[in-house]
Amino acid sequence: MWSDTILIVFISVCTAFLGEGLTWVLVYRTEKYQKLKTEVEKQSKKLERRKEIHGDSLDKSVKKKIERDEEKLKNNNRDLSLVKMKSMFATGFAFTALLSMFNSIFDGRVVAQLPFTPISWIQGLSHRNLTGDDYTDCSFIFLYILCTMSIRQNIQKLLGFAPSRAASKQGVGLFGPAPGQFK
Amino acid sequence: MATRTNTIERNGTVKSSSTLREICARAITKSEWPDKDEFLDVIYWSRQVFGIILGIIWGIFPLKGFLGLVLFAAISCGIVYLYAINFQNVDEDAYGGAWELIKEGFMTSFAGFLVTWIIFYTGLHYESIIASKTVSASS
Repeated sequence: MWSDTILIVFISVCTAFLGEGLTWVLVYRTEKYQKLKTEVEKQSKKLERRKEIHGDSLDKSVKKKIERDEEKLKNNNRDLSLVKMKSMFATGFAFTALLSMFNSIFDGRVVAQLPFTPISWIQGLSHRNLTGDDYTDCSFIFLYILCTMSIRQNIQKLLGFAPSRAASKQGVGLFGPAPGQFK
Repeated sequence: MATRTNTIERNGTVKSSSTLREICARAITKSEWPDKDEFLDVIYWSRQVFGIILGIIWGIFPLKGFLGLVLFAAISCGIVYLYAINFQNVDEDAYGGAWELIKEGFMTSFAGFLVTWIIFYTGLHYESIIASKTVSASS
């Protein structure tokens, strides 16, 4: 029973690296992305500091300045999301193809036993393509998603590709703070 | 802080201001954290390791059911809170409240915990699980 689960972890590590590699080629290494990211980072920090210093100050000119900064940051964040979009489509296609391949390999196979019974709206995922009504049986897709959730995010953080805290706290881009996180 | 703009360094474990070893040394002793991100990184990564270790323990033991999930969440959040507030004595307001500290890296560590728990539980106890299932099915 070890072999299936270890294989899934391995697959998930490989796809995470593949996804990040692809995004690096298409986005991270481009000058436009790097410039925008630096800009967003700088502005987020500045805005955060300004908000901290002035707090709930009623001074209109300060308020106006903060609003202007926020607007600028929002625009930059939108540009950043648009740059990322290209790779999101590419990785989206690659992953859909890979996932359907793995799905057919593991079709109907119980890859693991869950030590708990999942709540009803997760059962559709954890029991996907499995027969019987024993909900502690675990399907490939559920374990794969869990692996990806932890591995991909950690790899992103380790390689320094994750959006910084200040940026994700301040700015909400086109698709939320961290687009494409759970691909 | 604001003048440093090397974002790739700022996010990763390699910091421009202090090395990994220095950060580890500061993490296990009570120290000052002028760079908030550094402290949050310490919480994030220790949480990941902690989640995996708890997953292995739960799997070997084996702990089952809802209790395992609740116990993990309680222990994980409790330890982070005690570590940050009581041990390191950080000012929670500087981080936007205790909630920000508690949720730092929680979902990722939770996923890591689930994966190790499921893998070890299945790997070590597969025969007994299947045996108990067939017994309950036939009775």
